[in-house]
Order: sequence, then C-alpha cells, then structure tokens
Amino acid sequence: MSLSQSINLSDSHPADPLRQFTKRVGVATLVLLGLWSLAIWLTPYEPAAADFLNRLAPPSAAHWAGTDHLGRDIATRLLYGAGWSLGLSLAISLTGFVVGTVVGILAARSGPAGDFAVMRVTDSFFAFPELIAAVTFAGLFGPSTSNLVIALMVVSWMKFARLARALTLNLGESDFITQARLNVLSNGLILWRHLLPNILPSLLVLWTNSWSRTILSVSGLSFLGFGVQPPSAEWGAMLLDGKAYMQTAPHIMIFPGLAVLLAVMVINLTGDRLRDLMAGKT
Amino acid sequence: MAVLFGITLITFTISYFAPGDKAEAIAHARYPGDFGIAPEVLQGIREEFNLNAPFFSQYTHWLADVLRGDFGVSYSSRTSVWVIFVDNLGETVTLTLTSLAIGLAAAFLLSAVAVRYPNTIWDRGAVIISSIGAAMPSYWLALLLILGVSVYLGWLPAYGTGTFAHLILPAATLAFWVMASQTRLLRTFMLEAYDQPFIETLRLRGIPEREIFSRHVLRHSFVPALTMIGLDMASLLEGAIIVELTFSRSGLGSLLAGAVLSRDLPVVMFLVMFFATAYVVINSVIDGVQHLCDPRNIKKAKAS
Repeated sequence: MSLSQSINLSDSHPADPLRQFTKRVGVATLVLLGLWSLAIWLTPYEPAAADFLNRLAPPSAAHWAGTDHLGRDIATRLLYGAGWSLGLSLAISLTGFVVGTVVGILAARSGPAGDFAVMRVTDSFFAFPELIAAVTFAGLFGPSTSNLVIALMVVSWMKFARLARALTLNLGESDFITQARLNVLSNGLILWRHLLPNILPSLLVLWTNSWSRTILSVSGLSFLGFGVQPPSAEWGAMLLDGKAYMQTAPHIMIFPGLAVLLAVMVINLTGDRLRDLMAGKT
Repeated sequence: MAVLFGITLITFTISYFAPGDKAEAIAHARYPGDFGIAPEVLQGIREEFNLNAPFFSQYTHWLADVLRGDFGVSYSSRTSVWVIFVDNLGETVTLTLTSLAIGLAAAFLLSAVAVRYPNTIWDRGAVIISSIGAAMPSYWLALLLILGVSVYLGWLPAYGTGTFAHLILPAATLAFWVMASQTRLLRTFMLEAYDQPFIETLRLRGIPEREIFSRHVLRHSFVPALTMIGLDMASLLEGAIIVELTFSRSGLGSLLAGAVLSRDLPVVMFLVMFFATAYVVINSVIDGVQHLCDPRNIKKAKAS
C-alpha cells in the first residue's frame, strides 16, 4: 500500500509490479513529450496561419487532419491545442491536489472543532457542481482563459481534502505513528516521513481521475463559449469552430473530439491500473 | 444546515463581487433602448435595491428575503424568478429522469451479462464500452449523433425543444454517459457480492446460479450502487446542462447560461443555490434510502 514500503520492498524484489508500472508510465510520458515537441518543431504550419485557398479541405497528405474554415491546418492546431487542453487541466488539478491535501491534513490534525469548521466549509464548496460554478464565474466575470482557470481551481480541491482527511484520521491511530510519537519525533517529521508517503498513493489515483475530469470540463466549457476563446487552439474551442461547418466539413469537429476522448481514456486507464496495483499490495 | 448556510454565503459573495454596475444592469432592463440613463434614476435604483449598503448588511437583507421564499425579480424579464424557474424546470427534469432510467436499465443489463459470463466477449465488451463512455465528451457525442441521425439520416430534429422527437437525441447522449459510469461500478459491486462467503453456501445448497444472481447478488450490489448514483447526481445535472446547451434545448442549463451572459443576477443566484441545495438534499435522501435498504439496519430498527 504505502509508497515508502513499496520502495523498500522493491530494493530486494526488482520485479515489483507497482514500481515497474511507475517506471513505464514515466518513460511513456517522456517519450510522448519528446514526440510532441518534435512534431511541433517539424510541422510546416503555424496554428493561426490562415490559408483561404485551402479552407475546409478534407484530410490529405499535405493536411493530415484537413483544414478548418480559415484554412488552418487542424493537425497542427491539435498539437498546439494539447498544450491548452492538457496543460491547463494539469495545472488546475495539481493545484486542487496540493491545496486539498493540505486542507485535509490540517482538518484531521486540528482537533474536533477545527475539523468541524474546515469540513463544513469544504462541504459547502462541494455542493456546487464544478460546471455550474465555472459557468457562473466565467460568465459573470467575462469568459476568458484566466477566469476559467480560477473558477475550476476554486472547485477542484474538495475531493482531495475529504480523502486526505479520512486517510490521515485512519493513520493517526495506526501503530507506527504512535511509535513515531513515542520516539519523540517532531510533528513535522512525522508528517513528512511517515504520513505523506502513506497517503500519497491514494491521492495520486484520485488526481488522475481529477485530471481527466478537468480536461472534459476545460474543453466542454470552451466549447460552450465560457472558456478558452477562439482563435486559441484549445480542443473544445476547435470543436466550437467545427460545429458550424458540421454538414460540409465534419472532419473539423471529428478530430478535436477524438483527441479529448483519447487523452481522457489514457489517463483514466493509467489511474485504474495504478489503483489495481495498489489494491493488490494490501 | 451549516452547509446550506455556506452555500448562500458563497452564492452571495460571487454575485457581490461580479463586475459591472448592478444599478445600470437593472436600469437597462427597465428602460430598454434608453442609453442616457439619468444619474438620479440610478441613485433611486441603488436605494430601492439596497446596493449602497456594506457587504454584510446586503447579505443579511438578501438572506432574509430568500428565507421568506422571496427570490427576487428577474432584471431582464421583470417576472418573478420563481415563475421563470418553474417554467424551465420541467424540461430539465424530463431529460434527466429519462436518461437516468434508460441509462440505469442498460447498465444493469450490461453488467449482469458481464458478470454472469465472465471473461467472455460480453464481459470485455461491457468493460470497453464503459471506459469509452466515461471518457467520452458528451458535447462531442451530441455532435456526432446530430451529424449521423439528423444530418445524414434526417430522422430526428437536431436542435430545439417541444416534441418527443426532440427529446430522443439529448436523452440518448446523457443516457450513454449514465450507462457507462454505472456499468463500471455495478460490475465491480456484483463481482464483490460474488466474493461473499454466503454465495458459496448457496451454491453448496444447490440453489441454481440464476436464482443466486437475481435474488442475492443483484440485491447485494444495489446498496453501494445507490450511493454512487447519489454522488453522480451532480455530474448528471452537469451533463444535462451541457446537453441542453449543445442541443439548444430550453431548460435550467440554458436559463443559467442566458442569465449569466445577460448579468441577470437574481436568476443566476437562485439557480446556483438551487443546484447546490438539490445536491445536498439528494445526497441526504440517498443516505436515508440506503440506510433503509440494508437489512442489517432494518433488524436493528426492529430490535430497538
């Protein structure tokens, strides 16, 4: 279950599946990042370069995914769009991860009154469905990328807080924490060396889930006009561009949607596998 | 209770800090086409709506109104927010319940087949469908359905509200998501139920596999499934909003989007509070029902 335990174990057992899997995910991420940079460097097109002679062109050897209503190369825009869709949602979900974990641990370790107060605040935020909060915030304060990011960050941390609190409370009663206390380790040291390594894996699984959901939110809100605004090549914003030309040039809306689907699926499956491997360890 | 209070505070804070002069928004709604609104008129509106008061005083005023059931009047249509809400509620409820029913029925069917025939093509299929469905952006699925069914085949209308035909594609979109997310969970719960020792006992007693499934496994998986459906109500409402906007259906989602863009704050605040409160209430109801469904609790209640 625990990361620290698993690392210790794997020193003696090099075939530890969790460690192997983590390694593979790491390598795959690096390879993907490398390929992505290479592709961006190699593509002969600019994401915003209009070419009116070639507008609405179907996929061909020159334009692998066709061109959109301004003649921009869709494949190139998808590549740049990955930075928007995946990058923004990564930043949002990481913020939620960090903030939520800190809030949850604080709640669990601040005594009953503090715990009650913190968790009621968390519950209040939790009650606002992400999308409704984001539509309201981004709509009232003006649809823009930064408002979208702020809105989604504000509603991104509660799940982490709940899980971190529950895990911390559970662990507080376990023997090795008591042992550490008896050994007069400082609170900070217990937190850093014993608590965090044990609760992180579960939080990581939640984080993969949160990341993929945030991708759907970011592109969904952009598609509805509340997020990243065209001409930025965010995938949802590209879908919005394609919607108007659905009948004559369906490829404009097919490819961005496919990109979202694939990205979310890959992250989900990675998270599932991670969870299964961890469940196998307990 | 504390949570409901928190909801009102967050709602009010957002609207308080929303940019733009609220008095001007009200004035523009009252006198459409009149661009040179006199400062005295604005001043009058500010006093009428208590807009000059400090944050906390405004909040308590508004909260008192809300507690009395007075949600204010829409800036743009000058009708009561409550009336507008009730007008739009039906469409969203119809869409949500139809998709929930279809999606759940399909999910039970799919996961039952998957669990009864493990490691066959059925089982694999159910897993693949559910992981695609969980990752499928609903707005994209909606566009694909419009493209396929409305544009190429011409069978159903693509946009709008009204007839039953208008409901089919949106409901299908949302139901697909319900089916995918629930199949995944139901399959897990059913497999967990199969792992219980009493199943082995039933087998040893010679109870047919079909009966074990329908009378025991199904019932056993029902309680956790109920919780998950409750937790997913928020996602279902979100899904309904996306689907409504994609298909240009009328309903609460379109109402919210429209009100947000026209800065019709009373409508926005009411809807935000409604969604948050609905989430809290639905979860408590599900908690209660779940408690009642578990035979261990019924026994306890009888004993005491």
